[in-house]
Parts: sequence; C-alpha cells; structure tokens
Amino acid sequence: MKVLSNLMDKQFIVLTICITLICISGNLSANKGLEIAILSDKNNDGFVDSSSTMTMNLINKRGDVVTRKLRFKRLEVPADGDKSIAIFESPRDVKGVAILSYAHKVEADDQWLYLPALKRVKRIASKNKSGPFLGSEFSFEDFSFQEVEKYDYVYLKEDICLDILCYVIERKPLDPYSGYTKQLVWIDKKNYLVQKIHHFDRKSFHLKTQLFKDYRKYEGFFWQPHEIEMINHQNGKKSILIFDNVKLKNGFTDRDFSQGSLKRSR
Amino acid sequence: MLKSILMISILSSQLIVGEIIGELSFDNRYFFDIGLQEQKKNHTSFSFSPEIFKDDSNRIFHFKAKLRKDSEDSRRNLNDIQELYLINIFEDKEIKFGVSKEFWGVTETSHRVDIINQTDFTEGFDGEEKLGQPMIKISLERQWGLLDIYTLLGFRERNFSGIKGRLRLPIPISEKDSHYSSSSKNKRTDFAIRWSNYYDNFDLAISHFSGTSREPRFLQSVNKVNALVPIYEVIDQTGLEIQYLLDSLAIKGEIISRSGQGERFTAATYGFEYTQVGVVQTRIDLGWVVEFNHDDRLESSPFVLGTRLSFNDIYDSQILSGFIVNDRSKELGFLLEASRRVGECCLLSLEGVYFGDTDEDNGQQKLFQAFKEDDFLRIEFIYYL
Repeated sequence: MKVLSNLMDKQFIVLTICITLICISGNLSANKGLEIAILSDKNNDGFVDSSSTMTMNLINKRGDVVTRKLRFKRLEVPADGDKSIAIFESPRDVKGVAILSYAHKVEADDQWLYLPALKRVKRIASKNKSGPFLGSEFSFEDFSFQEVEKYDYVYLKEDICLDILCYVIERKPLDPYSGYTKQLVWIDKKNYLVQKIHHFDRKSFHLKTQLFKDYRKYEGFFWQPHEIEMINHQNGKKSILIFDNVKLKNGFTDRDFSQGSLKRSR
Repeated sequence: MLKSILMISILSSQLIVGEIIGELSFDNRYFFDIGLQEQKKNHTSFSFSPEIFKDDSNRIFHFKAKLRKDSEDSRRNLNDIQELYLINIFEDKEIKFGVSKEFWGVTETSHRVDIINQTDFTEGFDGEEKLGQPMIKISLERQWGLLDIYTLLGFRERNFSGIKGRLRLPIPISEKDSHYSSSSKNKRTDFAIRWSNYYDNFDLAISHFSGTSREPRFLQSVNKVNALVPIYEVIDQTGLEIQYLLDSLAIKGEIISRSGQGERFTAATYGFEYTQVGVVQTRIDLGWVVEFNHDDRLESSPFVLGTRLSFNDIYDSQILSGFIVNDRSKELGFLLEASRRVGECCLLSLEGVYFGDTDEDNGQQKLFQAFKEDDFLRIEFIYYL
C-alpha cells in the first residue's frame, strides 16, 4: 500500500510540476504579449496633440476607386484615452459632418455626431462600433484608439513581416460589443510599431488584414504611419487611408474637443 | 437691426476670403388627386443655396442663403439668409453675432423644445426646415456644462402655403394682417437661455425662452371673409431634455411648459431609439424609433414608429419609413423615403407620403383632415457646387 501511495505521490508531484510549468509558460507568454503591447503603446506617449488630413480610397473588386476626404485632430489625455475630432470634407453631401470621440481606457468611449444641415449634435450609442465607417472596410472600432487595457494578450512567436523581424501577439477584445473575436498583431522588434493586424470576426473567420505603411518620425519620437490599408477577404474590397499634413503640438486644448466646438465645425 | 447686422457681416466677409460652395436643388411633388381647394397635382420648385465659410481658429465667419422658386405657389418662394454670423472665441467664452440657426432637442420625430428659429412651413410639413434668426449668443463652456445665453433681435413670421399651395389648412391665412400682442410687434427683443451637460450615459438640458411665440394661434379675419389671421403672443416657455444611453438603446424625452397663449399648458415627446448593427450577417444597419406625444391642447396623443435602413455602401443608401398612428381618431399616416448619393456631386431622394382615410367620423378630432387629398410622391435631386 505504501509503495502504491508513494507512487501516487510521485505521480501527483510530477503532475503538479507539469501544471505549474504550463501555467508559468502560459503566464510568461501572456506577460510578454502585454509587455510588447505596452511598449508599442508607449510610442504614442507625449505627442500632446496632432492634426492631419486623411484621404480614404475605397476600392471595389474591379478596382474602381472612390475617394473621401477628412480632417483629423487629436488631443492626448494623459490619464485617460485620447480625444479626437474627424470632420468630413468630401463627398459634398456630408461636408461638415463631424464625429467627436472621447476614448476611455476601460469603459465604452463617448461619441457625438454633428449634422450641419440640422445644426444638431447627437450623442451616439458608441457600443455600435462594429459597423462600417463611411462605407469603407474600416469599422468605427478600427478608427478608435486601441487602448492597451481593452484587450487580453498572448505572445505567439517571432515572424518576418514586410521584410522586418516582428513579434506576433494575439489579442482578444474584452468589449462584448467588439466585432472581432481575436486579432493577430505583428509588431516590429526594433521600434515596436504595429505593422500588420489580422482581424477575426465573430465566427473566428479571418475577415480582414490591416497593413501599416510608410512610418515617419515626428519631433524625434512620434511615429505616424502615412498609409493604412484594410483588405476585406470576404468581399474582395479594400480601403486605403492616406495621412498628409501631419503636425504635432498645435496648441489644442480641451475646448477644441468639446460639444460646443463641434457646432463650430460648420 | 437686421440691416445693420447684414452690413457689418458683409464688410467683414470682404476682409476675409473663405471657402465658397453652394447647392442647387430640383424638387418635384406629384399629388395623386386634385386638392380640396382645386389646387393642381404637380408642383415643382428650384432652390439655390450659396455658402461661404471661413475658420481662422479663433474667429469664424459663415454665410448661407436660401433662394427658392415654386411653380405654383408664390408664397412658397423664399429669399432667406440662413446664416450670416461671426463667432469670436475668447479665453473663457464664445460670442456669436449675426443671423443663424440653433437647434435644441433630443427626440427624432417631433421637436418640442426647439424654439430659437421660426419654422419654414412651406418647405415641408415635418417642420424641420427653419428660417435664420438674428441674434447675439454668448456661450460659456465649463466643468459644470455648456451655457448658452441668447438675445434674439427681432422676429421672423412663420410662412404658410398660399391658396394654390398644397398641404395647407382649408382656410387661407392672411399673413399681412398678422397680429402681435407686443407693442414692438416684430421688432421685440427676446431672450433665451439653455444649460446642458452630460453625466456618463445621461444627458440633460434645461432651457427657458421669453419672447414672441414662433407658433401662432389663429383668429377669424375681420377684414376678409373666410381667412385666418395669425396671432403672435408673448410667451414664456421652459423646456427639459433628457437622454439616457443603455448599451445600444437611447431613451429620450422632451417636455415643455408654456404660458402666454391662454391657459398654461404642457406638451411632451418621449420614446426610444435602437440600432441593430449588421442585421442578418450583412453590412446593413437597422434603426428603430418609437415616440409618443402628449399635448394638453389636443385630445389625441399620436405615436410614431420609424425605421431607418442604412446600407453602409459607397452611395450612403438609406431607406426611412414612418408610421404615425392616432389611436382615438383611427387615423394612420405613412411615409417612405429612399436616398442615395449619385456620383460624387449629387444626392437623389424619393419620398412617398400617404394620409390614411379620414372620412369615417367617430366624433374625434382629426389630425390629417385637411390633407386627405394630399397623398404625394416627391423626387428631389441636389447638385453640390
């Protein structure tokens, strides 16, 4: 009996060690995933504010292109998510329409829509963020700032993407209203910049691939991708977002991102 | 006063050259029947809206006019300055001076609280189109919310369709004989104030207006047989707007209390709006609006059920539908509107409106009695310059 119990003890110990090891390695990869995400997010620290113009090219399966133009302003909010305002320039029928967003680290973002024809500011239920933005392959969610706290992370591997060495991490949105079940994110080892994201829809189908190109450095530390491409594998369409006239430290204040300021956008 | 504002604004506009744009629109309404007062079936109108906008970061200039010409009803012709103002932004406040439009409210189908601008009743019967109002507006935005203080310089009369126009009351309205309870008539300076703020998912606004009512009452004309005269009385109106966001559901309500037009009365619109994103595994969003109405002055309390299908395509295609149900009189009205962008320059919309049969008399006050022959189809084409 004693022999048997010894044997069981040993087996139990071995089992415990195994479980512990799995847990540790699991924890390690979660920690490493989170660490990479934090380092990548740090790239954005201290930019204070930024302004840019955005051109969005919507390309269908046949290659036909339609263009949308926007103006974009962003204000860093140190203890919380950033504030931003996007003002539509074209097509003409939506000129002057503006979206004001207050991103938050954990809770849902606040969003307001300004309709110049009615002179009306309308609060949007920002839970509805999985829908397309301006008829593009980007969703509202893809446009909002991806705060570190909004995901769970697992480190997967190293991989080559666009000729550079990258970490690959998997992140799962904690928000039940997200349109995605998971995302694979390629972050380069040198500068910790997001290079590529694979988006998986609610059925865990690889729905979209997002590519970040033409990173340029501002003020010696702030990296801005000048081209973001979103390819939808389900419908064969893609949208390309081009940033121009990027300018940091415009001297924006909270007043430039208030509901009152929204009414001044046209 | 209006003239001096005009002069100042035109002078300022010459100093700053802004972006110049415009809209040309063609509008054709086809009514299925000859009107109750023998009005014609087909009504066409053209409108032109030039616009200048200039933003110098702490100074904004905006000009927008609306000119409309109607084929049948000369009362539907319009020359209106919708916007002609300067905004100066200071450290702690913002001052708007000139003609402008200001919207107050949260509900979708009826706007109880909204009172700064006069309604252009000839444009559409939904009351969404407004006329420019001369004003000085001071805005303070602080931690405790947004406070807007308005001094409204002079008054714009409501415009009504003429004898040849459709969607009107059976008795013509004699605008020339308008009566005012204030001795200053349409020159009276009115005041308004509105405070608004949001707390997490809760939005709140409280407002007060003291001045000439935008909505007139009517009296039988003494000069003309069979004509109504609008009476513009001085009123005090307090309004409350609330909205609560619960996930994808917006619960909202507007209530006013008004004195100065006979007995003090209360009127309210309340309901909810809900949006389903990506219905049946597509890109299409489906929005629902249900709103109830109450008005002390009316026996009936109609409710509205509306839906909005947004296709989220490159044309921004949309289909709106709305039912208005007046339970007591057994009336039902229906509206269907489809719109889409055409190319990059233009917008096309088609609209159909049906007023349910109102011949049956059950002794209840009717809402659409005057419109019973006014079912119509409308096509609108807008070209953006």
